Amino acid sequence: MIAILAILRESWLFLRSEMLFKVVMGLNILVIVAYASVGFDDTGVSVFFGLTHFDHDFVRAGTELARTLYLGIYSAFIVNIWLAWAASILALISTSSIFPSFLSEGSVELMLSRPISRTTIFLTKYFGGLIFVMLQVGVFTLGAFLAAGCRISEWDPTIFLAIPLITLFYSYLFCVNVLVGIITRSTLVAILATLLFWFGTFGVRFADDRVNRFAIVNETIMERTSSRVEQLQKEYDDALATGNEKEAADAAYWLTGPEEEYEQAQTTLGQLRIWATTLDTLRIIMPETARTLGLLHRKLEQDKDFTIQDVLSGRAFEEPGSESKPDNFGGSWESAQNKDDNEKLNRRERRRAFKQAEMEATETMIERENAIPAWHIIGKSLIFEFVVLALGIWFFRRRDF
Amino acid sequence: MLPSCRYMPAAIEIQDVHKTFRRGVKALRGVSMRVDPGQVFCLLGPNGAGKSTLVKILMTVVHASKISGTILGKPVGHTATLRRVGYLPEHHRFPKYMTAEQALHFYGGLTGLRRRDRVLRIQQMLDLVGMSDWRTHKVGTFSKGMQQRVGIAQALLHDPELLLLDEPTDGVDPVGRREIRDLILHLRSEGRAILINSHILAELESICDQLAVVVKGRVALEGTINELTRDNRRWIIGYTDADLEWEDVSAKQHPHGVRITLQGGDATSAQPIIDRVRAAGGMVTEVTEVRETLEDLFMRALELAEDRDGATLGAARGRNA
Repeated sequence: MIAILAILRESWLFLRSEMLFKVVMGLNILVIVAYASVGFDDTGVSVFFGLTHFDHDFVRAGTELARTLYLGIYSAFIVNIWLAWAASILALISTSSIFPSFLSEGSVELMLSRPISRTTIFLTKYFGGLIFVMLQVGVFTLGAFLAAGCRISEWDPTIFLAIPLITLFYSYLFCVNVLVGIITRSTLVAILATLLFWFGTFGVRFADDRVNRFAIVNETIMERTSSRVEQLQKEYDDALATGNEKEAADAAYWLTGPEEEYEQAQTTLGQLRIWATTLDTLRIIMPETARTLGLLHRKLEQDKDFTIQDVLSGRAFEEPGSESKPDNFGGSWESAQNKDDNEKLNRRERRRAFKQAEMEATETMIERENAIPAWHIIGKSLIFEFVVLALGIWFFRRRDF
Repeated sequence: MLPSCRYMPAAIEIQDVHKTFRRGVKALRGVSMRVDPGQVFCLLGPNGAGKSTLVKILMTVVHASKISGTILGKPVGHTATLRRVGYLPEHHRFPKYMTAEQALHFYGGLTGLRRRDRVLRIQQMLDLVGMSDWRTHKVGTFSKGMQQRVGIAQALLHDPELLLLDEPTDGVDPVGRREIRDLILHLRSEGRAILINSHILAELESICDQLAVVVKGRVALEGTINELTRDNRRWIIGYTDADLEWEDVSAKQHPHGVRITLQGGDATSAQPIIDRVRAAGGMVTEVTEVRETLEDLFMRALELAEDRDGATLGAARGRNA
């Protein structure tokens, strides 16, 4: 225990000596001051401690929307963009040298020649590195907590959930960083490899989301068109049964559009499934960086009437029942006079249906994301981290220095 | 000084140590040695001979390909035993952001020393190495010699029974070297075993009890300096005022008389010569014992290794080297 405390203290002294640590801490304080400068009064929103003011009919002091906006800015922008990207990259640059510098000649001998196992040294150094992020996020969330309490009287301890979640998120990257650092003993290579891995996971997640969303759109289109095809097929069959050739010809003509649409969607879906399977498989072995951060967002918006997206898109300000309807593209099937009209209507109908399907797919995706349990997201990522750390320990234990 | 007794438990006793690094570099090829308590054991050898590798193996920094033996009665690699061993690595680097005191607290903590004990020992050790005035200064601002002093302090901090010093006087000024030498002798007198790895032959000569010359991963010569230099000792006997013929020994006429050189042997082998000179009415002007220097010994060990292996010096490369 004495040895572990000695290593942790050394980590703290190391971080304290790092200029970047101070720079990131300073920037964090600046960001939180900027956050605290946003306030609400009876007429709207003020920014920079009243320097700029925006009048608003709905977002005012004491309203639910003001609360949603304020906490939403914290979880969706400050945490997801500042802490998860900018501050994390700076933290990565700072902490990447921990292992390569410790493994340098003359330094490693002094550590490894002590009555302490290599596994303990490795793990203590690793968790010592995570102290960087915990301290930064700790100071940051304390600031956010106080700002939210003072500005919107929301003393919500959920804000502090950012500390373990951001640390967890960072640990997924840091374990890769440490593994590469141990193998190559190069800070630069460790940073580059980690960034590559990070952007790789981002790319896979982005592609997987897009592919899945597009697949849902096509499934919706197939579902819709199949019912229209069934309906027109029935009309055609009825017309044939009654001997009405003109109606049968019309029905046959109208059938071509939906049938084409159905087949096209089916073909696209078939192609997408190959990609979806590949990306899903890749995603199984990758840590859930974005979803881990999303847990904070999800927790802060749980059981709330509005989300930050509702506020930003304006949906939150609409009267109930006045949701925007699909555009009227002009004209109707009944008013179509000729083939050109029909084709125009067909194209319009398909565009409208596609747009509608996209909106529904987005909602389905959000529902699916929210349905994934937190234990699954964290558990799966921790398995990844465990495997990478085990590999790192294995390398570290058997390596000669 | 404690005598080197074979029945006493050895501080280090290792047999047949082999180390082959990746890519087939053979650093050690069957090294065996024994270091007793109260003994200063010196490891000599050219660069790349495997000396530092051997020390690192003993300190678990490097894994041996094959080893059997003990350190302080426990198998080599026994982690808890390292608490009783002090180590000063070659080219050691302390964290630059720490003060001398913080660094010693850190390394003392790693060894398991409690804070209360550390505070006391750090003060003692800094006094011992003459660094008390620099305790609150950052290690990064220290000269090489100062860092070496702090290095020695960290090696002694936990009061070890066995000390492994890799180039302990590296970068230290002559006064500091003398202080380190005196310190080593003092530690030996306390019954501690000390293994020194050094290139500076002159300073080892006066403190070495036992010596091993490692060349190309093998011990080329081992023994006490006396044992190793016995066969290469010379006696020079000078005389005047006698006209003598010599058949079995080398005699040369010099401006101030005749000089006879006797190879090997001890003082008794010089007596018949002296007796004969005196019997012939001559005057013995010089009787000098010329010992082989450590440098001569070192060079002889290299030549032996050359003859044995017929290859260049340094670590052998390749499996068939």
